[in-house]
Amino acid sequence: MKKMKNKLFIICTFSVAGIVIYSCKKNFLERNPIGQISSVTLNNKAGVNGLLIGAYSMLDGTGINNWFISTANTSVWNAWAGSTASDDAHKGGGYGSQNERSELENKKYTAENSILHDRWRLYFGAIQRCNEALRGLDKLPAGELTADEALQIRAEARFLRGVYHFMAAQMWKNIPYIDESITFSAGNYKVSNKPDGYAWAKIEDDFKYAAANLTPTKTQIGRAHKWAAKGFLAKTYMQQAKLTDAKPILDDIISNGVTSGGTRFQLQAEFSQIFRAKHENGSESVFSVQMSVNDGGEGRNGNEGESFNFPGTAGTQSFGGWGHQPSFNLVNAYRTENGLPLLDTYNDADVTNDMGKKLSDPFTTHTGPLDPRLDWTVSRRKVPFHDWGLANEEANIQGGPYHGKKWVYWKEETGSKGSELIDGWQYASGINYNLIRFSDVLLLAAECEVESGSLQKAEELVNIIRTRAANPAGFLKKYVNDADPSLGFSTDPAANYVISTYSGANGFVAKGKDYARKAVRFERRLELALEGHRFFDLQRYDRIQPGYMADLLNKYMPEEVAKFEFYLPGTLTYDILKGAVFIKGKHEIYAIPQVQIDQSAEASGPTLIQNPGHN
Amino acid sequence: MHLHLINDKKSNMRKKLLQCVLIVFALCHTAVFAQTNKITGNVTDELNIPLSGASVMISGTTYGTTTDANGNFSLTVPTNASLLINSMGHSDQVVKVSGRSTINVKLVKGESARLEEVLVTGYSVQKKKDIVGSVAVVDVKALKSAPSTSAMQALQGQAAGVDVVNNGSPGAPSQIFIRGITGFSNTPLVLIDGVQGNINEIPANDVESIQVLKDAGAASIYGARGSNGVILITTKKGRSGAPIISYDSYYNFQIPRNGSELNTLNAQEYQRIMSSINPSSTLFPGGRFPDFIFRGPNARGIANDGDPAVNPSLYRFDPTDRSKNYQITRLNKAGQGGDMYDAIFNSALMMNQSISASGGTDRSNYLLSLGYLDQQGTLQNTYLKRYNARANTMFKLTNNIRIGENLNVFYKDNPQSAVNGGFGPIQGSFNQLPFLPIYDIAGNFAGPFAGPANFELGDWGNPKAELLLTNNNRSREYGMIGNAYLEIDFLKHFTARTSFGGAITNYYNQVFTYNEYWRAGGGSNNTLTERSGFATSAQWTNSLAYKNDFGAHNVSILVGSESVENKSREMRARGDRFLSNDYNYLILGNAEVRTIPTSSASEDALFSVFGRVDYSYSDRYLLGFTIRRDGFSAFGPDKKYGVFPALALGWRISQEKFMKNSKWINEMKIRGSYGILGNKEGINPTNAYTTYSQGPRFSYYDINGTGNAIVQGFFPQQNGNTFTSWERNKLLNIGFDATIMNNKLDLSVDYYEKSTDGLLRPIQAPYTAGEASSPFVNIGDVQNKGIDINVTYRGRASKDFTYSVGVNFTTYKNKIISLPDPGYFDQGIVRFEENHPMSSFFGYKIVGVFNDSNQVKQSPVQQDAAPGRYRYFDADGNDTINARDRVHFGDPNPSFTMGVNLGATYKNFDFSAIIYTSQGNDIYNNGLEYFGSFERGISNKSKRVLDAWTPTNTNTMIKKNELGRNFSNSGVTNSDFMEDGSFIRLRSLQLGYNLPAALLKKVGISRLRFNLTAVNLLTITNYSGLDPEVSGSGVGFRGQDAGAYVQEKGVSFGLNLGF
Repeated sequence: MKKMKNKLFIICTFSVAGIVIYSCKKNFLERNPIGQISSVTLNNKAGVNGLLIGAYSMLDGTGINNWFISTANTSVWNAWAGSTASDDAHKGGGYGSQNERSELENKKYTAENSILHDRWRLYFGAIQRCNEALRGLDKLPAGELTADEALQIRAEARFLRGVYHFMAAQMWKNIPYIDESITFSAGNYKVSNKPDGYAWAKIEDDFKYAAANLTPTKTQIGRAHKWAAKGFLAKTYMQQAKLTDAKPILDDIISNGVTSGGTRFQLQAEFSQIFRAKHENGSESVFSVQMSVNDGGEGRNGNEGESFNFPGTAGTQSFGGWGHQPSFNLVNAYRTENGLPLLDTYNDADVTNDMGKKLSDPFTTHTGPLDPRLDWTVSRRKVPFHDWGLANEEANIQGGPYHGKKWVYWKEETGSKGSELIDGWQYASGINYNLIRFSDVLLLAAECEVESGSLQKAEELVNIIRTRAANPAGFLKKYVNDADPSLGFSTDPAANYVISTYSGANGFVAKGKDYARKAVRFERRLELALEGHRFFDLQRYDRIQPGYMADLLNKYMPEEVAKFEFYLPGTLTYDILKGAVFIKGKHEIYAIPQVQIDQSAEASGPTLIQNPGHN
Repeated sequence: MHLHLINDKKSNMRKKLLQCVLIVFALCHTAVFAQTNKITGNVTDELNIPLSGASVMISGTTYGTTTDANGNFSLTVPTNASLLINSMGHSDQVVKVSGRSTINVKLVKGESARLEEVLVTGYSVQKKKDIVGSVAVVDVKALKSAPSTSAMQALQGQAAGVDVVNNGSPGAPSQIFIRGITGFSNTPLVLIDGVQGNINEIPANDVESIQVLKDAGAASIYGARGSNGVILITTKKGRSGAPIISYDSYYNFQIPRNGSELNTLNAQEYQRIMSSINPSSTLFPGGRFPDFIFRGPNARGIANDGDPAVNPSLYRFDPTDRSKNYQITRLNKAGQGGDMYDAIFNSALMMNQSISASGGTDRSNYLLSLGYLDQQGTLQNTYLKRYNARANTMFKLTNNIRIGENLNVFYKDNPQSAVNGGFGPIQGSFNQLPFLPIYDIAGNFAGPFAGPANFELGDWGNPKAELLLTNNNRSREYGMIGNAYLEIDFLKHFTARTSFGGAITNYYNQVFTYNEYWRAGGGSNNTLTERSGFATSAQWTNSLAYKNDFGAHNVSILVGSESVENKSREMRARGDRFLSNDYNYLILGNAEVRTIPTSSASEDALFSVFGRVDYSYSDRYLLGFTIRRDGFSAFGPDKKYGVFPALALGWRISQEKFMKNSKWINEMKIRGSYGILGNKEGINPTNAYTTYSQGPRFSYYDINGTGNAIVQGFFPQQNGNTFTSWERNKLLNIGFDATIMNNKLDLSVDYYEKSTDGLLRPIQAPYTAGEASSPFVNIGDVQNKGIDINVTYRGRASKDFTYSVGVNFTTYKNKIISLPDPGYFDQGIVRFEENHPMSSFFGYKIVGVFNDSNQVKQSPVQQDAAPGRYRYFDADGNDTINARDRVHFGDPNPSFTMGVNLGATYKNFDFSAIIYTSQGNDIYNNGLEYFGSFERGISNKSKRVLDAWTPTNTNTMIKKNELGRNFSNSGVTNSDFMEDGSFIRLRSLQLGYNLPAALLKKVGISRLRFNLTAVNLLTITNYSGLDPEVSGSGVGFRGQDAGAYVQEKGVSFGLNLGF
């Protein structure tokens, strides 16, 4: 009896269990991912547009795949690889920290340098974001977008893809070109970077497509538009020294171009306005990275590049010397004689500086004539640092007496659209970065005119730039009261600004082609200093005149060391640069990150081939 | 554990059935039947020492009891019954009741007694003699002899083939590898009373037995989760008899290392070298040591006594806004390198208290235990406090239906933030400059903020400050693990079992960082991060077992099903800029800036069916076959299921006629098994899906140019792979067990080959594939071959003196057989490559230091080559050093590891020692990357730089001291910091004393033992770091010393009390 009952009980239990298991089983192992967005979710207009926004969001240089590449390493304006690696600036700070930045300056970097790797990952991660938008577009159900909408998305995505490839090609020249057919799932992502420089043509194609199809204006001001595409196409030609291809496009932009808001391109009235949040997206903006702060992004959508030169909370006290300090050479370039730069002798004498002087020591600022753009580019002791107060940081023995200031926000802009603290101590500003500004276009056009022999035309273009710089309204002024900057500025210029245009006996025609070429390049340096172009400008000059870059930098580096030693004899040298050598045929382009080469390998060996001279 | 052991083969089936029925009646109506007798008795061993836990069963039935701590039992039995008495390690004895009411039994350690030991194996129990798989049985007594925080920690050196790596940080989990590294996730399956759980949360005191299943024959019943080995933990149960109360306690006094062991430069040495390599140093102008460093709003630098810049009246301090500070710090010119280390480490007490009550009746048993562990870390402000409660009970509803449960509940308080590795305070104490004091002249924290120029003093934190200011951190977790089960015996040979169990954990932690005003880089704002979440795991297991004998044929069959479901969810939020650092003020609502909170969630499920057949013929020929089919939710629709079979054979040679007469050999068995096991560890539940993500920081953009408003965008988060499936491991095991020399020596040897096919790992794609993380895929093949040897010798020198020596020895060779093109991939300094062992270090191999410029000229062309810099090995012999000359320069896999357990008893004294050694493994000393060479940046350095190359000291292996990295010093990964990591460690040395039982009886105590233990008393090693027991997390970091929290020496006093 008992046994029977047990038996029954067991049978019941097991059949119940069996039923439960069976009924569960069908769905038991089907688990959808939680909290993730699938490609199905994005398979609509909003989704594809969101993928495109994701591609735009890389323009500020941060946010690749959930981890922060050191933002200063990847900032869009490329301070280390573009600026300190040239004759514009020093990394500063000695060997105390961030050696890998120093190594880009003194050319002792290896293929294991993490800044190079960070930038590689930034660019190629961003390129695939562009491709995601293109692939998303191709998968959309019919009718989700109008043909025009689809065309604009495609053209914008290809524009951005071109931009990121372009930036990578400047760094490494021999890069793989990644289009939308390259995917993880297709397994075809080990793309060779051979033949050398083949990517340029593909980049041109992207910009040609964008230039042909993008509308000239956009309701959303940050979007790529026709004239931005033309600007990049011209730059792509220029970087390959294909000046004859570039020239008609540059001419077209100068004659007909408008901003994405529809304003005819022209220089803004005052030089400093380019670096003010309140004047951004003005008539000079060919294509700008839209920086934003206090937007919920913890500062990561802002312009983080110059964060080490930012004013400390104590007025103008900067962090001093961690990074990106203008060189003696750059500052001396702003000396003028009869309002014109000293093209050959500028570095023979120094702008008066406080190197070796304590803050308590008496100090008088330079009294000689200077280009007014200097004091919007470089912070010098006892010169007003925006509305923060007189710059009063003691010269940094390891980085020099100067600091960059173009993207340092104004005190009146604190918070709101001006600034945001990142990680509690580092500042991002809301100041847009112009990937291409109209000055850039004018000066590239001037280069073309020089090479094609139209010296008069070149001079006119350069004079447009100089005329704007010479606008007295745009000079930096002294404070009404140095002790209280909040009282504003007086009408007295902060220094002895003397600037004039080229003409007559001092004109390009009179002085000839070599002089004109030198003057155009010099003007470009003064106008675009510290904006991260210089290293790549030297590359371009080197492609026109092989050896130019090595000769220039091998002269510059010991000269800088000598200046440090001059001011602080026996005790101070710029260690980072001492004994540095630029090897011709090697250091013009960077080493491809070893990790990426290793990971690109197939059975037969790596598909990525290292650039010449780099191990 | 369910016991149904007793089988009287000779009795008539019918009679047995009748007896059963009779007994059922007897039990149900005890009062009515007069033919039963209540008997009491006592079971002892040959030396009259009471045997607790011996089973006393009515012969031929499953009815019985076990003896209590004093060896006593009581049982109601039919007057004509026979009792079968069984105790682990002794021969069974059958005693006729014959109407007696008191039965005392003395068991002898008879022939092959140990083979009758019952071991828990997959979903069942088996006698040791019948086991054909490779099962390591852990000596639980030895395991408990060293003070430990968890059963896991104590497992080190206790079983052949089981490699445990411990970490000194309170509450940090240990790592465990069974039979080496064969894949990218080597976490063994841990089952606590049959439920998957976290071994780190189980106190050693709660453990009854631990078995480690190592080969296919033993582990394949766990199929897809068995390939990394299976650890089966059975927790203590109550036994029928009078309640036993026992109390165990230890106090372990941990003694930290001395700072001098760091071997770092003192202030004078640092200054001397720095001045020589950087004569322009502003810190030491003219090679002189200044007295002070200072910094204020408009001034900074160095100064000597009497300088107006360091007039104390200038001193200003604001903890929240350092830009207003005027900090003056007097340099400590007599500073020794280890000062900072000594300042943050203290001796610390670790104590454990546990009390348990257990007991039972014929029909039920129970065990209740409470435990409290308080481990104060030697590093200040680190600790683990854990409270445990366990309740294990079992009831017999009827004679053949049992229900029971096992439950462990714990609560722990264990803040661990930023203590280990990285740039935390431990690393800081190595690297902080030796002349920087802890406090400035006013008693606020000193650091590189003051001084001549930023970063001339480096940017290491102030370790003391970092530690003291962890005081607002909290980390709390509570959880439970356990199961409830029902077992029914029916139709005589069948047992059905269903068990529902699982684990739940809930955690909450908060990390508060202060404004670090003393740092060079930035005086950050204070921030508060709060995180909380839960994880649940539910497991339902059903099985049906059949067991029968047909003459010489013994058959047992088991079939079952199991489902496991895991879910977790977490939420995080952060706030910055609090007005006050007061703990009571700190809620996110009081932050000036709050970041957007985020959360994450995951879910997966496993479903399996399994079966097992064990057959033996004539007790000589053994066969076991298991098969399991597993399904896992994270795999794509066509790849969810995997089938994992295994076959094991055994031959008990000693049972053969020709061996029966051997006096010398008591037992000998040869066994072999082959099977396929699976692995899915490390698989993300979303592995099959291609997913996108979004975030303001990552993919939003101000497309409208507003300056402060962003538009939502997306980025590719993960590439999915629906073709990923189970990693399959083929295991071959040949083993040999013997008991010889009159049962004095047990020997067990296993040879194994394990090859992993379809190795699971995230594919490593170059960035041309984009930023999305790669899925796990099945690629590659790794092979492990190894030998495990276990030897135990038990001797008796005199009546009072017994001793034992146990040795477990493990060696394996590990090789990657194939990887997809190009046949390698990298993870940090590790390259996984065909024909090389897993986790080996890869880079340029240093041949020596260039002695002079002549040698530079004569050597292969090498970038930045110069006298005093490293000379690399020209692997391809083409006279040029480039990326193709990188080689595998080190291997973290040991040649062998060995544990030695020594034990002895003399009268009431007992002695035990555990020695553990690992030999032939290399360590890459990551810590040295910073403090090993000057070119890495400003920090204190190891004393090894004193022997650096100079033009006059050319006979050295240490590169010259210089600033700035390049290809020929530390600009590329090279073998500079690799060392031999072999060590021998005396893990514990214990002396115990049992008070005489007779004496204790008078005061009502059944057992009282004291012990004194020395922990980690001695370590013999050539490794220069603090602790050769390096616990890099994961396969890619094995053998890499990131400056972790070391295990300290200690002296422990313990007490075990039983009532």
